[in-house]
Amino acid sequence: MIKLHLHFKSDKPAVLPLTSLRQASTASVSAKMQGASTGIVYGGLKYQARCIADVRADPDHTSFLAGTLSLKEENEVHLIRLSPSGNELLCEGLFYHQNEIWDLKSCPYDSRILSTVYTSGETYGASVWKIPEISSQSNSPQLDQLVSLDDHTAKIKSVLWCPLGKHDKLVTIDERNIFVWSIDSSNKIAKVISQESVGMLHNLSGGAWDPHDRNAVAAICDSSLECWDLRTMKNANAIEHAHIRDVDYNPKKQHILATAEDEFGIRLWDLRMPKIPLKELPGHSHWTWAVRHNPEYDGLILSAGTDSTVNLWQVSVGSEDSAIDSPRDKRSRQIDPLLNSYTDYEDSIYGIAWSSQDPSVFASLSYDGRVVVESVKPYIQRK
Amino acid sequence: MAGVSSPPPMDEKAKRTRDLLASFYTNTSNSNSAAPSSPSAASNLTPRSPSSLDSINSPSFDASSYMSLLVQKSNLEGLLQKHVQMAAEIKNLDTDLQMLVYENYNKFISATDTIKRMKSNILGMETNMEQLLAKITSVQSKSDSVNTSLFEKREHIEKLHRSRNLLRKVQFIYDLPSRLNKCIKAEAYADAVRFFTGAKPIFEAYGDSSFQECKRASEEAINTVIQNLQEKLYSDSEPIEARAEAVVLLKQLNFPVDNLKTSLLEKLEDCLLKLEDESKDVSVGEISKTFRAYLIIFPDSEQRLIELAQGLFSRRYDAVRYQLKKRMLSVDLLELLGIIWEDVTTVDQVLPEAALPAYSLESTCSSIRQHISIAFSHLQHEISDAVAGSQSKSNEGRDELDLHIVLENSKKAAMQGSLDLLVELRQFFDEKLELLPKLRELITDWVQEGFQEFFQNLEKHFILLSGSRTNNCPLGESNHSGVLTQSPDKLPTGLVLVLSQLAVFIEQSVIPKITEEIAASFSGGGVRVYEYGPAFIPGEICRLFRSAGEKLLHLYINMKTRKISVVSKKRFTTPNWIKHKEPREVHMFVDILLQELEGVKIEVKQILPCGVIKRHRNSDSVGSGSTNSSRSHPNAMREDKLTRSNTQRARSQFLESHLAKLFEQKMEIFTKVEYTQESVISTVIKLCLKSLQEFVRLQTLNRSGYQQIQLDMEFLKAPLKQLVDDDDAAIDFLLKEVNNAAHERCLDPILLEAPILDKLISAKLVKNKDLSASPL
Repeated sequence: MIKLHLHFKSDKPAVLPLTSLRQASTASVSAKMQGASTGIVYGGLKYQARCIADVRADPDHTSFLAGTLSLKEENEVHLIRLSPSGNELLCEGLFYHQNEIWDLKSCPYDSRILSTVYTSGETYGASVWKIPEISSQSNSPQLDQLVSLDDHTAKIKSVLWCPLGKHDKLVTIDERNIFVWSIDSSNKIAKVISQESVGMLHNLSGGAWDPHDRNAVAAICDSSLECWDLRTMKNANAIEHAHIRDVDYNPKKQHILATAEDEFGIRLWDLRMPKIPLKELPGHSHWTWAVRHNPEYDGLILSAGTDSTVNLWQVSVGSEDSAIDSPRDKRSRQIDPLLNSYTDYEDSIYGIAWSSQDPSVFASLSYDGRVVVESVKPYIQRK
Repeated sequence: MAGVSSPPPMDEKAKRTRDLLASFYTNTSNSNSAAPSSPSAASNLTPRSPSSLDSINSPSFDASSYMSLLVQKSNLEGLLQKHVQMAAEIKNLDTDLQMLVYENYNKFISATDTIKRMKSNILGMETNMEQLLAKITSVQSKSDSVNTSLFEKREHIEKLHRSRNLLRKVQFIYDLPSRLNKCIKAEAYADAVRFFTGAKPIFEAYGDSSFQECKRASEEAINTVIQNLQEKLYSDSEPIEARAEAVVLLKQLNFPVDNLKTSLLEKLEDCLLKLEDESKDVSVGEISKTFRAYLIIFPDSEQRLIELAQGLFSRRYDAVRYQLKKRMLSVDLLELLGIIWEDVTTVDQVLPEAALPAYSLESTCSSIRQHISIAFSHLQHEISDAVAGSQSKSNEGRDELDLHIVLENSKKAAMQGSLDLLVELRQFFDEKLELLPKLRELITDWVQEGFQEFFQNLEKHFILLSGSRTNNCPLGESNHSGVLTQSPDKLPTGLVLVLSQLAVFIEQSVIPKITEEIAASFSGGGVRVYEYGPAFIPGEICRLFRSAGEKLLHLYINMKTRKISVVSKKRFTTPNWIKHKEPREVHMFVDILLQELEGVKIEVKQILPCGVIKRHRNSDSVGSGSTNSSRSHPNAMREDKLTRSNTQRARSQFLESHLAKLFEQKMEIFTKVEYTQESVISTVIKLCLKSLQEFVRLQTLNRSGYQQIQLDMEFLKAPLKQLVDDDDAAIDFLLKEVNNAAHERCLDPILLEAPILDKLISAKLVKNKDLSASPL
């Protein structure tokens, strides 16, 4: 007994410094964030902008890519990085991009590869780019175009990277078709593997790739959400009668996804029961534009809207463990699912992204080009 | 010797003699047997203690040692004394001995005398004895001879006696039928049965042979008896005792009484059933009498009777419950329950074991409870009918239903309905029914619970009416170029507003009133566990309805804006804005938009009150630091941002517009909606304009497209301001925002010249006037 006791005692000092250090560091960050009350602002984007993406493949830094949307001027892609101290956003790179960017995704396995969807007047296109070596002299170097995804006949809406590891496939969605591409980035070749049209009556506007199933892609249609099986290129499942603006799979639970909708704000669905939503959240005062699950904390959902707010929600969706959850459900129903509403924005917000490097941090991009990084730590800790 | 002498009694001499004799005999026997059983001997044998030497009486007494000890121990005087004492004792002993000898001798003499006398007496007895023996023998022989001579006669007499008895019995049996008949005539059934049962063993033994005729006749007679008895039993007019007796007799005759019982009880059951059918033909008083009768007649039938009685009343309560399903007044229910209660008490007096009052109390409770819950559900129906019923009417007839009337009707239904219900339920307390006071607390609880549940359900119902139906209605299909086709099951948007207002009304007027009324007449109610507090919690209900009202109001605004949003979406996604043609006129979409908004105004005007016009909302918001404004950003942040953006290039337009916004007044778009006409209308318009802005932002325009939007917005300005009385600045701002958005999204943003703009707008106005002036 005595020996055991001593053992405990001797263990403690070894653990303490680490945790105390960590606590101290987080405390300083959160204090800073709360003090500023708005999070960290990056004002480098000088044009309107809609797209921001987390650089998932960068393991060392909290980095985001943001693309501008200027009709008349030359557009830019910014690589933004949270400084190691955690209280400043630095511009790590600024790259010219000829056309206005409507969609921007970072490659999940290579931090220097990204995809954009762009328009210029009546023309449209989608490309995969490589960020050049930063050492170059030029202030704003050009991006290296790896491949251009050119086979589209209608307006391209979205490019999807497979979220499951290193995968050479891409999915592009235009208004009428879904394409699956095979990308060879070293040889700068892109091939269309398969293609399926949804017909003239439908109007695709975006989609998401299931992080649990590399063959499932959810495509947003006019009045439904269609789940495509990429092997058969068939619509396998659908949520009907939903006017969806954005969709995001739950990265922790298979079959669960969140939609941002015209009528209902945010709804959570279990794809095995596509008739009835699991949960409804009120969303925003105006349109709910985007919705994102936190990559780490289950049930933590971020939404952005045209009412110039970003809302942080906490919902428990029990599909498998509903029996265990049910008594707690009653209490959680009384608790407001809205954890916080970030309102310090000037314009509509179209882009939000969680950082996968530090899942308690998210970046939001309002239309006026302001990137704001916030920490949700106070709200997680409260839970 | 001193130890033996006892305190001198009265007859000292005689006693001493006896003692001496006794000691003499015992001592000799002791010494003879030589057994050392006496305690003195035992003690003297073993320990040669000096004290033992004192006991002269013991056989082991050693005179010489005693002498030497005495001499050793005592002085002269002591020795002298001892000598004197001893001499006296010796003298005493001597006289005693003399006396003993004398007495023994005396006895011996008297004994010899007695023996001599006996001898002389016995001598003469022998001869007398012999004489006696001879006489006795002669007597015995004579008696024997008498006995033998009389034996034969006695036998004969005994035989005669037996046959006479037998003959008498036979006679009885032959007489039995006539006797029985006589009994029947006299209705002395008890005698008849007694006779018959007496004769029964004989009939059983000889019935088949000698007494066949007789048996038959008597059985016939007894059958009549049985019949008569049965008749007697069945006839209700007979006195109960007689009927009970009849049953006893029948039982004695081995008649299957149980069958009779069951048949009678079945008859009773039929009778009871009939009682229900023809309601009041047979009074329960009679029934209870019958019960009592049967209870006496068949003491073992109690269980069955209890069942019957319970069945009767359970059927009656079932009937009441059945009637309850149709809406009935409390008074009627009370009357019914009262009647049943009376009957129950009547029957209970007869059948206390049936525990009818308890059962009845329970049933009464449940029926009252049911009544209360039915009353509440009826009330809910009435209210929802007041709201939704009008909708069906409107579908048949006019397109526009008078929302104001609907609202008033439903308000009245809610207020009056719940008050009426209270008044009606209060009758439970007014009525002087015996069992109601017991239930008073229970009823209070039920009514309170009822209201609580009622309001909760009503709220759910409201939400259901408004919410779930819209879920199923796909938006895109419900609208074609502005002509709204309503799917039949969808609640008209106007009614959502009515519901919202009704919820507010319930919260603000009905619930306080009800609370007051409940406090006045339904307070208390102690049966409920106090931990849970009172059953009716007005605060909770108020909260419920407040949130429901807000929810419904938001829903209304949502539905309205969605409709308009669909129109706008069509407008902005259909044309190719890059190849837009030069604007020739104001687009017709504006008309649809205005028409929709006008519709909102009409609905809102009917239902919502006029709000206080707030002219200085903007300045208010600065003070409150509202976070819902679209540009509430403090200037410091902006400057910070400007300095940080290390811009070298001239971002003229973008920056300019930003700076322009910066110095513009702050503008709230998403303010809290109030229950006023102005607030709702302006919220709808603001949301619509915001949507327009968002739609424009998704397009890329050429110059003509831009100009078209400029024109449309310019045209909208005046009518929108007309719709919103108080918030011109907001409209201006939002319209400008749409224009700004178009400007940003335009490849070649050149504004339409003012004269052309004016011309096109006035042309549109003239066209609209013509349209409205032309006959419909």
